[in-house]
Amino acid sequence: MSALERSDESPQVDALAAPVGPAEKEAPSPFVLDVHDFSVDYGVGTQMVTAVRDVNFSLQRSKVLGVAGESGSGKSTLVYAITRLLRAPGVIRSGSAILRVALPDGHGVEEFDLVQADERTLRRVRWSHVSVVLQSALNALNPVLRIRREFDEVLKTHRASMTKTQRRERSVELLRMVGLSEDRLDRFPHELSGGQRQRVMIALALALDPDLVIMDEPTTALDVVTQREIINELNDLRSRFGFAMIFITHDLSLLVELADDIVVMYAGAIVERASALELYDAPRHPYTLGLLNSFPPLHGARQELTGIPGSPPDLAQLPAGCSFSTRCPFVMERCRRESPTLISLDDDHRQVACWLHEPGASATVPVELSQRRRAATSDSDLATAESK
Amino acid sequence: MIARRLALYALTAWVAITVNFLLPRMMPGNPVQTLIGKLQGQVTSQEIRAIRLSFGMGIHQGLFAQYFTYLGQLFRGNLGVSITLGAPVSAILHESVPWTVGLIGLSTLISFALGTLLGAMLGWTRGSRFDALIPTATFFQAIPYFFLGTVMLLIFGSNLHWFPVLGAYSQNVTPGWNWTFIANVIRYGELPLISIVLSSVAGWMLGMRNMMITMVGEDFVLMAVAKGLPRRKVIMHAARNAVLPSIANLSLAIGLVVSGALLVELVFNYPGVGDLLLQAVMNEDYPLIQGIFLVITLTVLAANLIADVVYLALDPRTRTEAAV
Repeated sequence: MSALERSDESPQVDALAAPVGPAEKEAPSPFVLDVHDFSVDYGVGTQMVTAVRDVNFSLQRSKVLGVAGESGSGKSTLVYAITRLLRAPGVIRSGSAILRVALPDGHGVEEFDLVQADERTLRRVRWSHVSVVLQSALNALNPVLRIRREFDEVLKTHRASMTKTQRRERSVELLRMVGLSEDRLDRFPHELSGGQRQRVMIALALALDPDLVIMDEPTTALDVVTQREIINELNDLRSRFGFAMIFITHDLSLLVELADDIVVMYAGAIVERASALELYDAPRHPYTLGLLNSFPPLHGARQELTGIPGSPPDLAQLPAGCSFSTRCPFVMERCRRESPTLISLDDDHRQVACWLHEPGASATVPVELSQRRRAATSDSDLATAESK
Repeated sequence: MIARRLALYALTAWVAITVNFLLPRMMPGNPVQTLIGKLQGQVTSQEIRAIRLSFGMGIHQGLFAQYFTYLGQLFRGNLGVSITLGAPVSAILHESVPWTVGLIGLSTLISFALGTLLGAMLGWTRGSRFDALIPTATFFQAIPYFFLGTVMLLIFGSNLHWFPVLGAYSQNVTPGWNWTFIANVIRYGELPLISIVLSSVAGWMLGMRNMMITMVGEDFVLMAVAKGLPRRKVIMHAARNAVLPSIANLSLAIGLVVSGALLVELVFNYPGVGDLLLQAVMNEDYPLIQGIFLVITLTVLAANLIADVVYLALDPRTRTEAAV
């Protein structure tokens, strides 16, 4: 590896890294990630479909953003494109994704536009500032390498000054953090259980103290008990280390436990955005309601699971008007003609893209989408539920 | 676990040796008479004795006693005496095996290394202009080797005189462990080596390329990118896994090194085992055939054993699977 690639210490790389603007003098922005007008296509020409359209969101430092939606809703495509991990034929058509990382000396922040960043900048940002945990840890770990090598490789690449002993100590420390013993280091991935593998991935993701951790359905492949343990651990780790997190899942009830804010995606666009509890208690978009009714609630009374009729739309042949109109139980004439945009609702800065909530519209909002689904889950309710 | 495999290989070797012992004795009729007739009286009594011995005749021993005598001789490296060449088979093999192993073995390794490297590169840069290598290499593999070898011999050897032709070394040098001789052997080996590599590289290349393309789509390669590793290391993550099937194939190819070079040896008049085996078969020189088969069998077994061990070392998953 050349000296130039060892970016952390060398001063000339800062100039090459193309920071978006001088950030030192301003007050540090509370946002670690700003995504603006982000669109992603698959393929080009007549074969092209748009998988993500005009997505905007911001993520505050140390907060958790949940991204929910069915398969094919574009949630994974969105985050892979933001982190520039999207594979061909995926292409970022437009938009920006500004990552703001705190400078190590504590003075100000450095900005990167991930969409414009070149290879060298990306290599510098990756894992040091943004790390990733995938759904299947079995596939995400190289099957022929011992766990020790995975840690070693990351630390060697990004922390060149560390000695072998220091790397070993750091690896052990990281494993302990996720409740694994030191002897796991000398194991191969196939010798660990699914939960252990995912813990290894989480430990690996935190190895360099990143500002942002992307979790792509990290618990989907695990059983419910392990799921719960890992979610609790993530909550714990986040409060200790203060990294921000983007958590992708189709399981809304899981997100409520973990996320501060949730965006719900359908056919590549955000259809609703709210704080986690509000979205859970009082969904405003019919699709969100459907998603919530597809999973048993973690707490509270049993209720019938209704799910969403129909299947996710073919991105190449989206219906005219609102893309959810073909499956929506509350569909109106207008929905089939015009596509709704995200509008802010009066209460609590939440946003929804649905004609039902258009201010001054004549439509009557169905009762399911106009009030809380149940009595607000207060802290004491959650506490009693946890203790059971 | 390794011990179990070793035992299995020992068993296989024993079966091969036993079959090798039994086959000539199970031949119908009297092959000795046929042979002596074929040689039209130009045999010494010593040779006749050798022939009879190799077919288990003229010895007043039971089959079992003969078997143990055979095993004992084998153990001491005594493979009998060649009928047509009149020399001990072990000495003849000692003459020709090194040439074959040297030329074909080296060609196989070079072809493997080159093909794997090119394949890894092609798999990584799929769809680039480097893909033109594929039809080129496949073309050379598709031409019958006999034709390819002859044409190369004619053009680069006879006409352009870029390479010396015919034989493994010049008549003007004396064989021995000195630099003049070794350099001469290398010089004579170049053209056959190039022709073998040219005709076999496509297989390695395509195999590696396809595995590489599969691996590039794996999550752990995506993770290697996400980790911000330099490109070289990302490619290594993929290649380290993609090479596993090629290693298995290499072991098979190495096992066949001793036997599979007939055409090369014919075209380039190279003094190897393939040529020897052809002569032995045409002259019905059974002791020699037997000896060659035994060497081939044992080489294949040894190569497989090595491949097993290497594979165990390279792919940790096979360790547990085999232990279960």
